Amino acid sequence: MTFADPVQAGVSRAAQAARDSGPLLRLTGVSKRFPGVLALSHVDFDLRRGEVHVLFGENGAGKSTLINIIAGTYPPDEGEFVYQGETIGRLTPHTARELGISPVFQEFSLVPELTVEQNLFLGRELTRAGVLDRAAMRAKAREVIDLLGFDLTPGRKVRDLSRAHQQMVEIAKAFLADVRLLILDEPTASLTEAEAGKLFDLVSKLKAKGVGIIYVSHRMREIKQIADRITVLRDGRKITTVEAADVSENDLVELMTGRKIDVLFPHIEARPGEKLLEVEGLTLVNRTVTDVSFYARAGEITGVAGLVGCGKSELVRAVYGLELIESGEVRLGGEIVAHPSPAGLLKRGLCYFPSDRVAEGLALGRPVRENASMTALDLPAFARAGILRRGGERRAVQSIADRLKLRPPHIERAVANFSGGNRQKVLLARGLTRDINVYLFDEPTVGIDVGAKTEVYALMKDILATGAAIVLVSSELPEVLHLSHRVYVMHRSRIVAELTGADINEQEALPHFFREHDAEPGR
Amino acid sequence: MTDAASLSAPEAARRSLVGWLLVLSLPLLMAVMELSVYAVEPRVLSLRNIVNVLDQASYAFVFASAQMMVILTRGFDLSLGTSVSTVSVASALAMTGLVAAGAPDALVVAAGLIAGLGVGALVGLFNGGFVAGLGINPFVVTLGSLNICLGLSTTISGGGPVFNVPDVFSRLFYNGKLMPGVSIPIMIAVLIGLGLYFLLNHTTFGRSLYIIGNNPRAARVAGLPSRRYLMFAYLACSLLAAFGGLMLTARTGSGEPNLGGSLMLESIAAAVIGGVSLQGGVGGVGAVVFGALFVTMLSNSMDLLEVGGYVQQILLGCVIIIAIFLDRLRQTRA
Amino acid sequence: MTHIVDRRGAGAVSQRALRGYARVGFLPTVLIVLVVAMALFVPRFLSVQNVFNVLRSSSYLVILSAGQMLVLIVGGFDLSVGAVVPLASVVSAMTMVWAGGAVPGQTGLIIALGVLAGLGSGLLVGLLNGLCVAFLKVSAFIVTLGSMSIATGMALLLTNGIPVYGMPKAFVSGFGRGLWFQLPTAVYLAALVVAAVWFIQNFTKMGRYLYAIGGNLHAATVSGVRTKTYLVLAYAVCSILAAVTGLALTAEIGSGQAVINGQLTLESIAAAVIAGVSLKGGVGRVEMVTLAALFLLILTNAMDLLRIDPRIQTIFLGLIVVLAVAIEEMGKRRTPVD
Repeated sequence: MTFADPVQAGVSRAAQAARDSGPLLRLTGVSKRFPGVLALSHVDFDLRRGEVHVLFGENGAGKSTLINIIAGTYPPDEGEFVYQGETIGRLTPHTARELGISPVFQEFSLVPELTVEQNLFLGRELTRAGVLDRAAMRAKAREVIDLLGFDLTPGRKVRDLSRAHQQMVEIAKAFLADVRLLILDEPTASLTEAEAGKLFDLVSKLKAKGVGIIYVSHRMREIKQIADRITVLRDGRKITTVEAADVSENDLVELMTGRKIDVLFPHIEARPGEKLLEVEGLTLVNRTVTDVSFYARAGEITGVAGLVGCGKSELVRAVYGLELIESGEVRLGGEIVAHPSPAGLLKRGLCYFPSDRVAEGLALGRPVRENASMTALDLPAFARAGILRRGGERRAVQSIADRLKLRPPHIERAVANFSGGNRQKVLLARGLTRDINVYLFDEPTVGIDVGAKTEVYALMKDILATGAAIVLVSSELPEVLHLSHRVYVMHRSRIVAELTGADINEQEALPHFFREHDAEPGR
Repeated sequence: MTDAASLSAPEAARRSLVGWLLVLSLPLLMAVMELSVYAVEPRVLSLRNIVNVLDQASYAFVFASAQMMVILTRGFDLSLGTSVSTVSVASALAMTGLVAAGAPDALVVAAGLIAGLGVGALVGLFNGGFVAGLGINPFVVTLGSLNICLGLSTTISGGGPVFNVPDVFSRLFYNGKLMPGVSIPIMIAVLIGLGLYFLLNHTTFGRSLYIIGNNPRAARVAGLPSRRYLMFAYLACSLLAAFGGLMLTARTGSGEPNLGGSLMLESIAAAVIGGVSLQGGVGGVGAVVFGALFVTMLSNSMDLLEVGGYVQQILLGCVIIIAIFLDRLRQTRA
Repeated sequence: MTHIVDRRGAGAVSQRALRGYARVGFLPTVLIVLVVAMALFVPRFLSVQNVFNVLRSSSYLVILSAGQMLVLIVGGFDLSVGAVVPLASVVSAMTMVWAGGAVPGQTGLIIALGVLAGLGSGLLVGLLNGLCVAFLKVSAFIVTLGSMSIATGMALLLTNGIPVYGMPKAFVSGFGRGLWFQLPTAVYLAALVVAAVWFIQNFTKMGRYLYAIGGNLHAATVSGVRTKTYLVLAYAVCSILAAVTGLALTAEIGSGQAVINGQLTLESIAAAVIAGVSLKGGVGRVEMVTLAALFLLILTNAMDLLRIDPRIQTIFLGLIVVLAVAIEEMGKRRTPVD
C-alpha cells in the first residue's frame, strides 16, 4: 500500500499555495445573528500561511461562531470571506473540506454508533469501483493514528470510547485530509501532557510547511508556547489582534474580560459555618465519579475544578439525583439522603443549576414566569390542591425578576427571546422562589457576557450572606480560583487535591489537572 | 450581548405582520373555503347545515382533544380508534346484558358508562405504564395497544355489531332535548372544552404538560413529577377517547367493532392542523376547536359539492401536509 | 480505555463469541426454539405446502420491512408503505391491461411497462415523502400520514375499489405463482433485496451515510455528507421496495387490488422494531430485520395451525411488539435521565 504521508500530502499543496501572496484567509466585517443573540458583530480576522493564530476569549465571546463560519457550518449574515485570494460566496462543510479547511471541534462531530475508522473517513470514504475499500481505509487509518501517536483502535465504536479518545478521533479526522487551514478548538482539553506534546510537534511541522492554523485555547502556557498572533474576542466583537511576543498574561486576561481581575471578581467574605452538604465515598454506576468525598459549609464557596470530562459536573449532578449512584453516601444537614431525586432535594433546600441551559435548564418556548416557578409548584404560595394561583405567581416572579435585573423585564415573554445572561438569570430565579440553603452551580457563567457575569457573582455574594452553602463547578479556572474559599481538584473521576487559603492559585492547581494516564491506579 | 435581540422597527413590523397572517391562516382559510363553496352551493351556510357541521365537529373535537393531551408531551396515541371500538362494544354488551336481565334504566346506563370508561382507563394505564413507567417509545406502545384493542373488540363482539343499545342511553348522549336548538353532543363538547381549558391553564398538571413537552429534561431537572404526569396524560387521553366512543355508540344505537376505523388518523390530523405541534409543548383547546371545525367543514363542503370519497381522501392528505408545513413556519417565526 | 482486544488468547475468542451473541440478541434463539417446537408437535408445520406459504408471505414482509428499516435508520418513519403497495398493484395492473390492448402479444414489453409504472408510482410517493422531510423539514410522521391518505385515495379513485383483471399469464402463473428450483419466486426476490440492502449497508457510502445521518445529523453535516440527498434517497428506496412488494403480491393474486391487507405498515414497523432497529435512528441491520419478519410470519402460522382465533392472534402480536422493545430498552438503561 502506498499512501502519501498525510502531512506531506497536505504540505505539497500548501507549499504551492504559499507561492501566492497575501494571507491565506481574510474575513472582513463578519456578523452572525442567532435567535435572540448577536453572536458576532463586524469582526475582521486574517490568517497568514504558516502561522498559529490563537483565538482568545471567554466562553460565549464568539470564538466558536467564528470557527464554525470558517468551517462552513453556517453562513455569516454579512461580511466578506476571502480564502487564498478568492472571495467565497456560499461555503458548506463539504466545500470547505474540498478547499483544505479542516476543523477539529470541541463539541465532537462524531457518530457514536460508527467505529473510529468509519468516523475518520466519514464524508470522504475511499472506494474502488463504487465499493468501499475497507482494507485501504483500515491501512490509512492506522497510518494516521501512528503518525499522531494516539492510542486508538480503528475497529472500536466511538460510543465506547472515553472523552479523551473521542478527542483523539476528532483530531485524527482533521489530519487525514489534505489540510491547508487547520482549526483546533481547545484540542488539548482532555489530553495528557505527552499527547499534547505530540500534537504540538505536528502543529509546528505543518506550520513550517505553510499551513495556517487557528487555535482556540484558554491555557496561557499553551498559548505562550505556540502562538504567533492572538486575536481577542469579547461579546461577539473583536477587541484586538496582537503579536504573541508583545503581551503578558495579565494583559490578555484584561483584554478578554474588559476589566481588571479584582474588579471582575468581587471580594466575597467567607464565614464558614456548619457542614450543610457532605458526600462520602461516592461512586457512580458509569464510573465518571469514583470514590469521591467532599463537603460544603454554610457561608463558604466550595469550588470544584478540573478538565472537561473529569467528572466534576457528574459529581454535583449525582448529588441532585441526576446520575445513577453505585455506592456512597450523601448527607444534607447531617441527614442521609437515601434516594436523591430533584423533587426531594428541592424540598430539603438543595438546588442544582445545570450548565446546559438550553438542553436541560429551560423550557425555551415557555414564558419566564413558568420557567422561574417550575421548581416551586409544590408550594402553597404557587398552587393549592393542584390549582395554580396565577396572580400570586406573577407577583412573586416579577419581584424576583426585578431583583435580578432581568432585561427586558417582561416575564410573560418566552425565554427563547432572551440573551444568554438573562436566560441564566431566569434559571437562577428558581433559587429564589423557595427556601434553598445549598446551591450547586454548574458552569454558571458559560456563554454569558461580562455584565451578566458580575451580576451572577453579586448574586452569589448575596446568597452567601444569608448563610447558605455554595458549590461552584467551573472549567473557567480564574473564576473558580478567585471566587472559591476552598477548591477541590478533580482528575479522571477522582478528587486529587484540596486547596485552601493561599494555596488557591494556578501554580498549585494546574499540576493536578495534568497527570499522565498511567499514573492513575487501576489502569 | 445586551439587547442584541432588539430588531429594527420596520423589520419587526414586517415580521409581526407575517406572524399574524400565519396565526390567522387557519380561520382565514376556513372563511375563504366557506365563502367560495357558498358561491356554488348556497346550502353550505344554511342554518341547518351549520348546526349539522357543529354537531359533527363536536365528536371530532372530543377525539382531537384526547389526542392533544399526549401530543403535548411529544407522544401520540395510535390506539385511539381501536380503543374506541372496544369501548363501544364493551359498553353495548354491558347494557344489553343488563336490559335482558330486566335491570332499571339508571343501572343500565351506569353499567354502560363504567364498562366504557373502564376500558378507556385500562388502555390509558397500559399506554401510560409503558411510556411513562418504562420509557418506551409511544409509537411502539400504542402500536401494540392498537392491535390488542383490535383483537379485543372483534373477539368480544363476535365480529358483528351489538344491537339494541337502550334508547335511554341514546337520549342521554345523543338526541335528548335539554336546551332548545342546542344538541347534546355540542353541549358535551363545550363542557369538555371548558374543563380542559381549566385543566391546561390553571392546574399544575396542565402547566407541567407544556413544560414536559417543551423540554422533558428540563422538567426532570426542575423536579416536576414527569412520570406521573405523563401517565395522567395517557390516562386522560384514553378516558376522553372512551367518552367520545360512548357518544358515538349512543348515536349509532349499537356497539360497533369497526367504529374507530379512521379515528386515529383523523384525530391526529385535526389536532395538528389546529396547531398542536408534534414537537410537543404547543397547543391548547382553541387549537383543537379550530382543527376539528376545519376538518369537519372541509369534508362537509366536499360532501355538498358531491366530491367523491376517494378524492376527499387525496385532498385530506394534501391538507395535512400543507397544514403541518404552515405550522413549521409559525414555529420558526415565533 | 486503553484496553485493546487480544486477538490471540482463547479467552478472547469466547469473549468475542459472547459479544457477538449479545450483538445479535435473543431473536435467533427464539426463532429456532419456535421452529423446533412446532416441528416436533405439529407435523403439518413442515409440510411442503405450509413451508411454501410461510416463505411466500414472509418474503413480502421482508422486502417491505427492509425499506422501512432504511427510513427508520435515518431517524424517520414511513406510514405510507401500506398504501404504496395497493397503489403500485393497481397502477401496474392497469398499465398491463392498457398495454395488452395497445401492443397485443408483446408479453415481455407489456410486463416491463407494467413493472415500470408500478415502480414509478412508488418512486413518486417516496420523492414526495423525502423532499418534504429533507427540505421542508416537516415531521416524517405527518408527511407520510398525508401521503398515505393520498396514495390510498389514488388507488381507490383509479379502480373504484374493483379488482383489475387481465394481466399477462406469464406474469401471474409464471412469476407470481411460479416455482423456481422448487421454491416460490417471491423467495428469490426477497433474497435479492436482502442481499442488495446488505451490500449497501456494508460496502457503500450510502449505507454509511444513512447510519451517520440517523446517528448524528450534525456530525454528518459538518463531515460534508450531503444529508438532504441521502434522506430523499432513503425514502425513495423505501417506497420503491414497497412498490416491489405490491408487484409481487399482484402477480400472486392475479389482479390489481386497491385494498390489500391494511396492517402492512404496522407489520413492517413491528418487524423492524423487533429486529432492534432504533426509532431514534442510526441503528439497524437487514439480516436482523429478515429474521424478525420470518419470526412474525412463522409465529402467525404456528398460531393458525394451533387453531388460535385470528382475533386473539392480533392481541398476542400487539403484546409481543411492546414486550420485545421493553426488554431491549431495559437492557440498555443506564442513567436515570431519560
